[in-house]
Amino acid sequence: MKNTSLIQIKRTFVLGMVLVLALGCERDLTDDAIPATFAKVGDIFTDDFVSMGSDFYFPFGGSKLDAFSVDTEVGYESSASYRIDVPNSDDPAGNYAGAILRVDGSGRDLSGYDALTFWAKASRGVSIDAVGFGQDFLDNKFQVNASNLSVGTNWSKFTIPIPDASKLTEERGLFWYAAGTQATGGSGYVIWLDEIKFENLGNIAHPRPAILNGSNVIEETFSGATIALTGLTQTLNLASGVNQEVTISPNYFAFTSSNTSVATVSELGIVDIVGGGEAVITATLDGIDAEGSLNITSLGDFNPAPVPTVEASSVISIFSDAYTNEPVDYYNGYWAPFQTTQGQNDIQINGDNIIKYSELNFVGIQFAVDVPTIDVSQMTHFHIDIQVQGDIDPGDFLQVKLQDIGADNAFGGTDDSDDELTLTNTTLVSNSWVSIDVPISDFPGLTSRSNLAQVVFISDATITDVYVDNIYFYEISAEPTDAAPTPTVPAANVISIFSDAYANVAGTNLNPDWGQGTAVTEEAIEGNNALKYSGLDYQGILLGSAQDVSGMTHLHIDYFTANSTALNAFLISSGPIEKAKALTVPSATGWTSLEIPLADFNPVDLADIIQLKFDGNGDIYIDNIYFHN
Amino acid sequence: MESSIKNKISVAVSLFTAVILVTFLSCSTDETQTVTNFTNLTMADEFDLPGTPDPAVWGYDIGTGQNGWGNNELQYYTDRSENIIVEDGMLKFTVRQESFEGSNYTSARVLTRGKFEQKHGRFEARIQLPWGQGIWPAFWLLGDDSNGTEVWPQIGEIDIMENRGQEPTIVGGAVHGPGYSGGTAISKPYELENDRFDTGFHVFGVEWGENYINYYVDDVLYNQITPADVPGEWVFNDDFYIIMNVAVGGSYVGSPNASTVFPQEMLVDYVRVYSAE
Repeated sequence: MKNTSLIQIKRTFVLGMVLVLALGCERDLTDDAIPATFAKVGDIFTDDFVSMGSDFYFPFGGSKLDAFSVDTEVGYESSASYRIDVPNSDDPAGNYAGAILRVDGSGRDLSGYDALTFWAKASRGVSIDAVGFGQDFLDNKFQVNASNLSVGTNWSKFTIPIPDASKLTEERGLFWYAAGTQATGGSGYVIWLDEIKFENLGNIAHPRPAILNGSNVIEETFSGATIALTGLTQTLNLASGVNQEVTISPNYFAFTSSNTSVATVSELGIVDIVGGGEAVITATLDGIDAEGSLNITSLGDFNPAPVPTVEASSVISIFSDAYTNEPVDYYNGYWAPFQTTQGQNDIQINGDNIIKYSELNFVGIQFAVDVPTIDVSQMTHFHIDIQVQGDIDPGDFLQVKLQDIGADNAFGGTDDSDDELTLTNTTLVSNSWVSIDVPISDFPGLTSRSNLAQVVFISDATITDVYVDNIYFYEISAEPTDAAPTPTVPAANVISIFSDAYANVAGTNLNPDWGQGTAVTEEAIEGNNALKYSGLDYQGILLGSAQDVSGMTHLHIDYFTANSTALNAFLISSGPIEKAKALTVPSATGWTSLEIPLADFNPVDLADIIQLKFDGNGDIYIDNIYFHN
Repeated sequence: MESSIKNKISVAVSLFTAVILVTFLSCSTDETQTVTNFTNLTMADEFDLPGTPDPAVWGYDIGTGQNGWGNNELQYYTDRSENIIVEDGMLKFTVRQESFEGSNYTSARVLTRGKFEQKHGRFEARIQLPWGQGIWPAFWLLGDDSNGTEVWPQIGEIDIMENRGQEPTIVGGAVHGPGYSGGTAISKPYELENDRFDTGFHVFGVEWGENYINYYVDDVLYNQITPADVPGEWVFNDDFYIIMNVAVGGSYVGSPNASTVFPQEMLVDYVRVYSAE
């Protein structure tokens, strides 16, 4: 912010110099040189554009770009007006009309005015979605929005009050509007505007600024959290007696924190929680106290959910900062009339967005109506991180339900399916994150997964306060898609059993018949051979000769399995003396590279290794089995 | 002493204003117009003594009257300091939204009945009005009822200033008499350009003579009512007393709504009455 304002001061100074020099023939440059002032023209469009320059019309992206024209037959007490042809909702060129009028050149000094006014009529009675000023497609620093302006079929005058004119000393965004057809059932219509200008009416009074829509909001949060103040409004009483509310940008306000060791607040109304304790955020506008406040109780440091490690290419994410999330209709549908649950994705701590649900009985995240449903049919697993606040009593539960709406892509019908996971106090831990990773097969009732529409949480109020993070589906493919990482240890430091990177111990039998059921094959993955154990019960490797690995420090193994739930690796010396090492399964996605300290295999005689063995279940890919130091 | 000096100054100011008015009159009325200068101060309350209003001048109407003072008004009038007090050199009316004696609003209505009454003269007050839908401030005169032998509208009513809170730039002046009362009163609105009545003080007054009542706001004469303008008997040659009040709701303004801000205040800087020399 500092830099910006410096630049602005400089710019003002330069312009000031120019003006003073222009006067130079009449008087000397003195220390009394005053800052530059800008044109005080109030008119924008009166029968034609007034002092707007040549390049001033900037339609919104997605709007119908040519919806505006100058009507040379219709006007307010004239024969010209600013005409907006709001398109039908199915117009391929854009389904609404919206634009800003930005003065081409330096801004204007509007500080002597108190309102934007214009005359308007429409081809039918309509409610214009938004009209205002201060939007310049640059910083939109002093934006003002008036919503739902009711325009009839006869000319009438509209007044949009300026929240604090002293701010508008160099404003380029003089007018903007957005008009669609949601309220007209998709039918287009025409709006005529005329005598669009800033005026000093002198009869606008009783400013009542508000933040958070005038509510005193209570927020329990943590250090590192960021909260954006919303619901910023100014309400002024017009000569007509109407209390005209406008939604305005934060730059009109001066924000204050009662305790800056707990919370700081920026000029843009961004509240950063910096410590534990209590703080109240309030604001003033032009010296007048704004209604509403943010009452913060910070509980201090927050322990975030574990950062997901699954590769992004294998993930479809609903809610996580680690991935690109699928678009959703909402994170809380506030389903009437029985839902009590409050909260949604409104917590951000150190850049990590977290969903906080309170007063939970049930709540749903939906992706079905305004956004596409999600096809998770290729995914094999579901992940969610949950932290329950407060005690979890026996009998308390939290169900996580997945809802698919089937091929008709609509709720109801005969092809909807769903199933849920029920979590209890045997899984959930009070005030701690619990990471749930389950195969999709744990949702057997979810018979279709191509049109997933909702993730629903149900507790029947047994558990009322939860944090939720990292909701995603992921695929663990049955076989690795990439070769195991190529070893980098110099061959001189290696005794290799199975690897394309090294000379392996000669004469080794990779499939000795020990009566096992395991089927052993060698699979070429990207040209790199790996061992595949299908239907593992146990499986040995008989070395071509006894190896002395006492000069080595580690046994390296790369392994991959999508479906194993138990896997042990054994070293065996003569006797036989064997020792197992449990391997974590299934491997997340891709290969797991393990370095097992040889000391872990005590009491196996490292000077006399004759065999290796694996036992467990599932289908296992193994590569790069070697000892090294 | 202080107040008497102030009075002299005010008289001078009024005199100046009166001259201007006379000029207006001579322009807008015919040559036979009788002109009277009301320069003799007969009553003034500058509201300089904090506390309850001067009991020698002001009495109170209390309660809800009949049918909300005849207009279905919603407020309960009290003489509590919460509703009426002299403070900061002003008589301050405070309109509150509160449950009180069966009403949802409280306010105040003061009057000089039996304390100060006068036939003809210049009656003026400097007032900042309250605002908002359903708020109805008024500064007006009622005729003496001749010991109960006359009833309204026969007694006559001169409304010097009435305002609808939802019309912050407009005030009205009216007369009520037999055959022209209530909805058929003879009245005229006056609208401020580029200003409003609830953000600063304005002077509201009448100059009332035997056959005319002139209405003015600040230095603008905006109406004259004469016997020729009323369809019934001219009942304004009698003693009248002053009333000031802020009503809530009723047929004239309609009820307050969610947009109405409470409490509301009407501030009166002074009330002054002059007679002809």
